This record gives sequence, C-alpha cells and structure tokens, in this order.
Amino acid sequence: MTNTLEHKNCACCHEHPSAVKIENLSVKLGGISILDDISFHIPRGVCTAVVGPNGAGKTTLVKALLGDVDHTGKILFRQEKDGSFTEKRPVFGYVPQRLLFDRLLPLTVMEFLAGSFCLRPVFLGVSRSFRNTAEEYLNEVDCIRVKDRKLGALSGGELQRVLLALALMRKPEILILDEPAAGVDFKGEKLCCELLETFRKKQQFTQIMVSHDLSTVAAHAAHVICINHRVFAEGDPEKVLTSRALLDTFGLHMGMVDLHKDCHCSCHHHGGK
Amino acid sequence: MFARIYDLLCSFVSFIPLECMQMRFMQEAFIGILLLAPLAAAAGIQVVNFRMAFFSDAIGHSVFAGVAIGLLLSVSPHWSMPVTALLVGGGIMLLKRCSRLSSDTVIGVFYSAVAAAGLALVSRNPGVAKDMQTFLYGDILTVSGGEIAYLFILSLAFYIFQIFAFNKLMITGLDEKLAKAHNIPTALYEYIYVGLLALIVIVAVRATGVLLVTALLIIPSAAARNLASGAGKMVFFALLFGLVSGIAGLLLSAQEFINASSGAMIVLTASTIFFITLFFRKKG
Repeated sequence: MTNTLEHKNCACCHEHPSAVKIENLSVKLGGISILDDISFHIPRGVCTAVVGPNGAGKTTLVKALLGDVDHTGKILFRQEKDGSFTEKRPVFGYVPQRLLFDRLLPLTVMEFLAGSFCLRPVFLGVSRSFRNTAEEYLNEVDCIRVKDRKLGALSGGELQRVLLALALMRKPEILILDEPAAGVDFKGEKLCCELLETFRKKQQFTQIMVSHDLSTVAAHAAHVICINHRVFAEGDPEKVLTSRALLDTFGLHMGMVDLHKDCHCSCHHHGGK
Repeated sequence: MFARIYDLLCSFVSFIPLECMQMRFMQEAFIGILLLAPLAAAAGIQVVNFRMAFFSDAIGHSVFAGVAIGLLLSVSPHWSMPVTALLVGGGIMLLKRCSRLSSDTVIGVFYSAVAAAGLALVSRNPGVAKDMQTFLYGDILTVSGGEIAYLFILSLAFYIFQIFAFNKLMITGLDEKLAKAHNIPTALYEYIYVGLLALIVIVAVRATGVLLVTALLIIPSAAARNLASGAGKMVFFALLFGLVSGIAGLLLSAQEFINASSGAMIVLTASTIFFITLFFRKKG
C-alpha cells in the first residue's frame, strides 16, 4: 500500500489544489514491475520534486505523464477550462535530461526552436516575428549568443538552457524537468532555478522536477515525493527529507542529509571542481 | 492529355544542344532524371540524418521478393514490387517499435529474408535470372511514359508531405520523448514517411539498380552535410547535388568516349561531388 503518512499534514497541499492526480499507476517493462501501484497528487502552481535513487522509476514516471509508455491505473490532469480532472493531457513543457542526438546534425538553434513551433518547414526559412520571440526567450535564459550556432556544438549547459527556453516558449501548464542538475555547472544551476521561479510566477505553471540530487530539491521544491518503485513518502521538503522514509527510499547512506543552505553550496563545489 | 504534355516536354528537352538528346529515349530518361534525382536526394536527407541507410538498402532488396511474389500470384511486378516494399518497410517499423531489438538487427532479419526469397526464386526457374538483372543494375533509359507519370505523382505527394512533416520528423528524430511532449503523433508521421520512402526506393531501383539505390539517396545529402551549417542549407545543397549529379551522370554516360551504364555514372558523379565537398567541410 502507498504510504501517505506525510501527506495529511503537508502545508503545501492545503494551500494549493492539485494539478495532477495519479491513482494506482503501475508500469511494467519486459515483465519487470517499474512502478507498482503508486498514487499521489501534484499541487498546482508550485515546484514538486520527485526524488529517488537511480533505477527507481523516475524517468518511467515522466514517460507515463507524457503518454510515452503503457500503464495501468489513472493519470488525471486538471483541465484549465472547467477545473475538472480528465486524462486529456495539458500543454507540457519538457526539459529532457539530455538529448541523445547526432552531434554533427546540421541544425541551428534557431531552426530547432522554429521546427518545434512553426508550421512553415524550416528549409523555407524562419519568419521575422518568430525570430524575435525566440531571441527574447533565449535572452531570458542568458543564451542569446548561441542562436545561430549548430545544436550539436553547444555545451551541456547551453543545450539545457536552449531546451528550457523551448519549454517556456510553449507557455506550458505543466513544466517537467528531468534531472535538471545533470550537465549544468553550479552557477548555471542556480541561475536556472531562480529563472524558473520568476517564470513560474509570471506564467503560473506547475513545475515537476525529477532528481536524485537531494540538495537541489531541498533548496527549491515546495513539495517532495520520494519514489523507489513505490511511493515512500510525500509532503513538505523539511519533513520528508529528514524522515525515515528517505532512509527507506535511498538506503542507509542518504539518511544523514543536512538541509542547511551552506551544505547545498559546498556539495556542488565538490562536484564542480 | 498527359501524352500531349509529355510530348511537349520531350521536344522541349531536345533543344539541349547535345547529339544524344535528339533521341527520344534520352529525352524520356532526361525527364525521368529531372524528377527522380531531386526526389531521391530529398528523401535521402532524413535517411542520412536519422541513419536509415541500411533501412533503405533493405527496401531496395525487397524488389527481389516483390518480383517473386508477383510471379507466384501472377500479378505484374509493377504492383507486387511497391506493395512488397510497403509491407517490408511497415514491418520493420512495427517490429522496431514493438520489440526491444535494436533496429539494425530487425533490418538485418528483413534484409536477409527478402533477399533469400529472391534467390530461392532465381534458383527455381533460371529463366527469371535475366529479369532480375534489370533490377540488379537498373536502366533509366528504358523508362516509360507511365512510369514518368507515376514518378510525378509520387514527387508531388512527397513534397507536400514534407512541407507538413519536415519540422515534426526533425523533432522526432532528435528526441522522441520531446516530440511526445509536443503532442506530435510520432508513429503516424514515421509510418507515412517510411511508406513514401519505400515507394521512392522502388522507383529509384529502376534507375540505378539494387546495388546502387542507396547511393542515389544518401550521397547528395552526405555531400550537403559537409557544407551546410543548418537544416535549410542542407536541403538546398542536397537538391542541388542530386540534380547536378543526375543530369551530369546521364549526359556523360551517353557520350561516345564513355558509353557506360547511366546509373553507375550518376553515382560516380555524385561520389566525385562528395569527395570535393570534403575539402570544404565546415568545422563545428
């Protein structure tokens, strides 16, 4: 059974109604149970972090949300129109962990963005007005200098910012970030998180962040869900990330995570250097 | 109606001041190449970018199975070949999507199966072996008016499809999950693309034969990739190289001092362009 112990006294869920309701979701891949009868809610308009160790089924959960994997159980999204919950998917912004693509592919950043939005095929050129909008967003994510570079020539951090700009340009109802800390330097990550907060206030989207990096989660999420094939805990980060559930989810070593901000910084300095 | 337009085109082409262009079959071949070369090059862009060269090779080899099935069911190969190609292409895509086998394994299985079907047929009745030679080496010079009309309709369908699908296929090729997040019906676009590609490959086999059909598709795009920094430029260069190598190859093959198979000359010209572009390659 799902443990929703923390859920009842979660401040976040009192303040924010749900954007997504997941009920008895199970996913099996090749006979192996990846997600086993999980149920939880994702509050609207705030940042929810899904944490769990590698192989816990986090990416599969994202796939299920995006409709890219067969599942049993229900995934219900709140409809902007009337506030009801149905299986109709909302507008997603999705920032993948990484793009596995041919690095030598001749495709500029501008063409990549235009290809994602415009009906006009990119070989007929990119319209002036789209170019202006795209430049605006690239400016916001501090990446305007790469607009005419090849997509394959970007660094990991630059590529992720371009993907973020792409996701934001869609004016998403739900923004999903898969391991946003991977491939981004410390400065970049901090900027990313601040940027997302600003945009979330402006565009009012629901943010779902999948991560195995607890320090990022502690610093930025308003709601946390711990999964490892099942849901082990959900609720406010201060409670969940210090609870026994964390120990259950991750195993012994992660039990002593310290949630102070300076820890957050020092962890990343270690990683970065 | 069509016949009259076709005659008009032929007489138009005959104004090219070359001795060989006074012959009707050369005029027809020229019109055929004008349609086929850019079409194959355009289809090749995605073949190169999504690494489907092996896939198009397998489709090419399906002509053997196509002829075999045509003989067994006593239907014209004009029907059995494209239908077999569609089935093989669709089958590969279906198995690739539904099984966890890697795509080159799946293609390898289909490739061998269709080639074996052709070999089995040839070994059973040696009389067919001569027909098979047509498909091994191809011959654009014997192209018929009906085939030109078919090529024209296929071109039209493919270009219209690309106007709608180019962007979507590009995103799907980059990352399927991203495409899904953008609500792109990825399977639909991929199946239509593969279907059109199969039909194009079958027509191209007529020109260059099974052995060289992939070359006709991928070499212009491979050369274009050497020069282009963006997708728009790549499309432009690929069409240009396809057209230039097609026309130059055909005309060269008809010159007395060369007098060689036109399909081979087209591929040789394209390869020459490719090697030249290597020296002008864009870095980064």
